[in-house]
Amino acid sequence: MPPAIVVDRVSQLFPGANGAPDARALDEVSLEIKRGEFVCLLGPSGCGKSTLLNIIGGLLAPSSGSVKIGETVVRGPLPSDVAFVFQESTLLPWYTVLENFRVSLEFQGRTDGWREHSMAALTEVGMQGFAGYYPSQLSIGMKQRINMARGIALDTAILLMDEPFAALDEQTRLVLGEDLSVLLARTGKTIVFVTHSLSEAVLLADRIVVMTARPGKIKSIIAVGEPHPRSPDFMLQPHFSEIRNQCYELLRDEIRSTVDAMREARDAHTG
Amino acid sequence: MLTPANAELRQTSIVRAIQLAVVVAVFAIWVGLTSSHAVNALFLPAPLAVVGALSRLIGTSGFWGAVGVTTFTTAIAYAIASTAGVVCGFFIGRSPRLTTAYRPVLSGLFAIPLTLFFPLFVVMFGLGPSSKIAFGALYGFFPIVLNTIAGFSGIDRLFLRSAQSQGATRVQMLRYIFVPGAWPIVLTGLRIGFFITFASVLGGETLSSASGVGHAIAHEGDLLESPAMFAWIAIVLSVTIVLNLVLSVVEKRAVRST
Amino acid sequence: MQSVARRPLSATAIRWWTIAGLIALWEVAARLFGDPSFVAPPSRVLLGLPGLFADPKVAAAIGMAGLEMVIAFMLAVIVGAIVGVAIGITMLGRRSFFPFVLLMWGLPQVVVLPLVILIFGLGPVSRVAFGFTHGVLPVIVTTVTGMRSVSPLLLSSARSMGASQAQILRHIIFPTMVATVFTGLRLAMSLTLLGVVLAELFVSSNGIGNYTQIFAETFHPDKLYGLILVLAVTAVILNELVGLVEKRFSRWKEG
Repeated sequence: MPPAIVVDRVSQLFPGANGAPDARALDEVSLEIKRGEFVCLLGPSGCGKSTLLNIIGGLLAPSSGSVKIGETVVRGPLPSDVAFVFQESTLLPWYTVLENFRVSLEFQGRTDGWREHSMAALTEVGMQGFAGYYPSQLSIGMKQRINMARGIALDTAILLMDEPFAALDEQTRLVLGEDLSVLLARTGKTIVFVTHSLSEAVLLADRIVVMTARPGKIKSIIAVGEPHPRSPDFMLQPHFSEIRNQCYELLRDEIRSTVDAMREARDAHTG
Repeated sequence: MLTPANAELRQTSIVRAIQLAVVVAVFAIWVGLTSSHAVNALFLPAPLAVVGALSRLIGTSGFWGAVGVTTFTTAIAYAIASTAGVVCGFFIGRSPRLTTAYRPVLSGLFAIPLTLFFPLFVVMFGLGPSSKIAFGALYGFFPIVLNTIAGFSGIDRLFLRSAQSQGATRVQMLRYIFVPGAWPIVLTGLRIGFFITFASVLGGETLSSASGVGHAIAHEGDLLESPAMFAWIAIVLSVTIVLNLVLSVVEKRAVRST
Repeated sequence: MQSVARRPLSATAIRWWTIAGLIALWEVAARLFGDPSFVAPPSRVLLGLPGLFADPKVAAAIGMAGLEMVIAFMLAVIVGAIVGVAIGITMLGRRSFFPFVLLMWGLPQVVVLPLVILIFGLGPVSRVAFGFTHGVLPVIVTTVTGMRSVSPLLLSSARSMGASQAQILRHIIFPTMVATVFTGLRLAMSLTLLGVVLAELFVSSNGIGNYTQIFAETFHPDKLYGLILVLAVTAVILNELVGLVEKRFSRWKEG
């Protein structure tokens, strides 16, 4: 079976503003992701992981290189194959939760049976009682849960998640992480998950793609080798700590160089 | 999607070109309508006529008289409005209870057209500058007091508690927290208040007065002297634009220094 | 920082006692010191209100002023929203034309009042026109600034789900726009009222301006105050109505 996602030497260049030099966000990144895999993109701030995710999902065109989803080369959004879950809830504030689902499915071009479909997705995350609420009436945790449910309702083979739990407290993160793991095991979706949290990456991923500081390259790929569904108990096993330490060692230099780069930029600015 | 930075730069030149075109077009339309007599010269006098009226106007004793009255009236009205506004705003804004008590009333009053009360001022103070001083002071008072309340009541209580725990005296808290914290908003209120006072004085002079720039405009209108009326309007608009620029710069500088 | 020795006076109590106190002061001062030709105490003003309305011409003038306010407001909102969208929907449009709008926003419109009367005459049209010019600017300003606030994240999310340009317009841009027009409505109403009142007072041959002049010159301060009071209350009611409409359409905003 062909891999779900093939990233082929993708580079991204952002033109500099007002005469500043161009910024190279990604440098010849190549990656193959198998069907049903949970892959984490892990790296320091600014390493281009969100950029890579947007390129994979067709929201951004790469400066060079290409991405294939299945057999298709990505040239724009692929709403029937790829669903995004962003860091902040992208529920439209002027519609209720259920109306949001209807509109999202309408975007996708699916109008039949939307109500049952939406309620089923909401029930999966336990939010079925809030279908008639407006987003402003919900807490951040609830909104992100519903955000995830919407990602599920879109029924795509691939889920791209950009630090979806970053704004949540530790406990909610663990619960939602567990839900995600269960979902993966049940549906066999392919998930690409961006995070800067080491624990989260090890807890959730089948493989962890550790990225360098800007310009982003793949430093190393670490396999976790623990079957899904995973429970938080996995965190207590020695295997977990080993992998986590491995990641930390890889990242430590990258984080340091990011901090040095920031310091240099600041000194250049004030000097 | 991504917009390259150079596209924004290119757009700026297009923007400037469009703006220049608009100004030129407006002027061209003005000239066109008046020279072809498509519009009654009463409603829209020719540019040259206005320029002629301007040159005949500026420097005359009538001109300086009117300008003097309006300037004097505005200055006094603003002095009253700003003093009263800042003082009241300070005492109200410092107290959460008074803020809750009075802020809604003041905003509510400000939302109604206070010009309704102008006839009362004329009845009480007559046609002279006093009625305009009172009216201008009243109208200008509101944005100043409201902004001052907002400035002082908006100080984060956390800063105050922190200072208190460090043993700060009332005067020190005033000097190092209240005043610097409220200052930018108060200053904005003072700027807005000035223009409202100025506009109110002009309005009062236009409605009922025997002197001042507003009266001059209304008077020329009565005499159907459109070029002269337009000349006065042009003077007022130019002065307003200049004042606006100057006060905005002053406000920015004053805020930066704290 | 407040000492709570006795039960303190609540904010609401302070407010109403102050208002009552001021009214009482007005009553006493007017009766004791006020020249009855110019000053009327609140009691006389209130008692004179029915008489004021009994005169059909005065009532008609008040009604006409109210109608002018409503029409000017609706025109200001509709035209303002359309112009605001036209300017704000593209970055080029906004950068080119918004500065002109802001420039006009800062000018004292009252100086063109005599000109407006000259052009539109002494009747209701000039009042509506002047109210319109006052109210349209804040609507344009809030609409344009609001259109900038369309969240790029929401746009990305919609695109990722396959939304067409038409769907984005309908489900994201249009609701954002409507929301921002509503935030400017109260200010638009206040300013429209100001424009209409200015125009009414300027013309002393008919309308409200006629009666303010008559009541002043015939030394009927109670009627003058009464007329002003009625108009002020009308203004408050109109403002509150707009506020209610705004609240109803912004239900989704409350937390």
